Amino acid sequence: MVDLSTDLGFIKLKNPVITASGTFGYGEEFQDFFNLDILGAFVLKGIYKNPRSGNPPPRIHETASGLLNSIGLPGPGAKELQKIVKRIHRLTKTPIIINVCGDTDEEYIEVAEIFDKMDEVTMLELNISCPNIKRGGKCPAQDEKHTYKLVNQIKHNTSKPLIVKLSPNVNDISSIAISAEQAGADCISLVNTFLGMAVDLDSKRPVFKNLFAGLSGPAIKPLALKLVWEAVQSVHIPVIGIGGITSGRDVLEFILTGASAVQIGTINIVEPKASVRIIKEIEDIMKKLNIKNLDEIKGKLKI
Amino acid sequence: MKEERCFVKENKKINENYFLMKIKAEYISKNSKPGNFVMVNVSETFDPLLKRPFGIFKSEPPFIWLYFEVVGKGTKLLSNFKKNDKISILGPLGNSLPEFKNKKILMIAGGRGIVPIFYSIHTYSQHNDIFLVYGAKSEKDLNLYEEIKSKKLKKLFLYTDNGSVGKKGLVTSDVKNIINNNKVDITISCGPEPMFKTLVKKIEHLGTENYISMEAIMGCGFGICHSCAKKTKNDSYKQVCTDGPIFKMEDIKW
Repeated sequence: MVDLSTDLGFIKLKNPVITASGTFGYGEEFQDFFNLDILGAFVLKGIYKNPRSGNPPPRIHETASGLLNSIGLPGPGAKELQKIVKRIHRLTKTPIIINVCGDTDEEYIEVAEIFDKMDEVTMLELNISCPNIKRGGKCPAQDEKHTYKLVNQIKHNTSKPLIVKLSPNVNDISSIAISAEQAGADCISLVNTFLGMAVDLDSKRPVFKNLFAGLSGPAIKPLALKLVWEAVQSVHIPVIGIGGITSGRDVLEFILTGASAVQIGTINIVEPKASVRIIKEIEDIMKKLNIKNLDEIKGKLKI
Repeated sequence: MKEERCFVKENKKINENYFLMKIKAEYISKNSKPGNFVMVNVSETFDPLLKRPFGIFKSEPPFIWLYFEVVGKGTKLLSNFKKNDKISILGPLGNSLPEFKNKKILMIAGGRGIVPIFYSIHTYSQHNDIFLVYGAKSEKDLNLYEEIKSKKLKKLFLYTDNGSVGKKGLVTSDVKNIINNNKVDITISCGPEPMFKTLVKKIEHLGTENYISMEAIMGCGFGICHSCAKKTKNDSYKQVCTDGPIFKMEDIKW
């Protein structure tokens, strides 16, 4: 028997596979495909205080082994999501993570407080890194002082474990990761999407009205792995690796690099049962390589 | 809705750009209704990454048929599938048309918009009078004439842009007269966006119940990614994959 569990310090997950925000709806959409109990945890689609309709189409553009998106975080608002959370909690005991968004610091705090009060919610993930916000995708994650201030305020106003999700669109990931840790983050997750761009030769216009869009999918895996490595070297809190994961082998590569868990994103859109397959693959590879538990390889990359 | 491992039974080249693919898909064929679509995995690799949406052309368990035009990378790969090849398909997806009885239904198909229309004719022709307006750019885009002729149609109106087959003109040219002269109750249409834009101006005041089947760039096909947004009359967005692909014509903002 192999042990797939992973200890984040504040919670032990039955396996390292967490489904990423924005690629897994509110969980209930996946019930037709598999039992949500199999997952390590799942992150709901990012939520703002009020309902949002999202960006004008086109919202996606396919690239070589990747996907550019400028969806604009449409959602029902915090009040409606509270009802949804109660409903999904009755379906599964898998930990539910709320991805907290905000146009202002005040909104971030307000949304975090709303879900901090819910027993059905296990953790909060602070989305300081969403590149879809207007003004060329500027976000708190691009400024270490802003990151510190926001994380610090959230920690002062909430009691649940806090994951801070970092943006890859920064000069120095280490300084941002350290800011989040010093401000009290319990864990960091990275990476969110890389800013990219697509142009249409026929119309001579950019594909997206916001000009830039977020790149995800297998194309970004090596870029993500490098940033996860740098983050792991910089902080003492657990790191959740995200970026282009499509297989059990990919997951174990992130663990070897030092991640305590992973989030799988774009592949959920392409292959709804991907997480079932990936968990099975992790188990098979561990058996084959005679790895009894994840601690045996976690951060054991030979440099 | 299920991701089903299917088998290609035939991939017939209709002409240089169009293919009719017969697929053994037990679950999807048994559960599909007119208007439904599927997401097809055109490659086992990650390039292209996304599945591709296709309307169901015909469903006779255990088979479904897809009729597609080669327009890009995904459809090019799909055109290369051979008999007995495995193919992974997610479906049936989306909403479907309601049931109709004893109605006079006008179906309007522009180009590859014939796909959901063909399925609808098959389903509704038993208990309703069906009128079909079918048009395309030229003769080579106006396929399946024989298949269509075999259906129980009250009347068929053919159009091509260049007049090579049927009348010269657009599918929308005479719809107003066709609706009035035949006392049409319901219209069901599918085609490119400019066709809908013309159509809505011509028929929205005629008192018919108007259904449309929409195309969109899609990510997932089952409501997760919010890629396929269409603006509605009240300036909110609907998702083509789960709120559609069938919409009431008047609900969309043109």
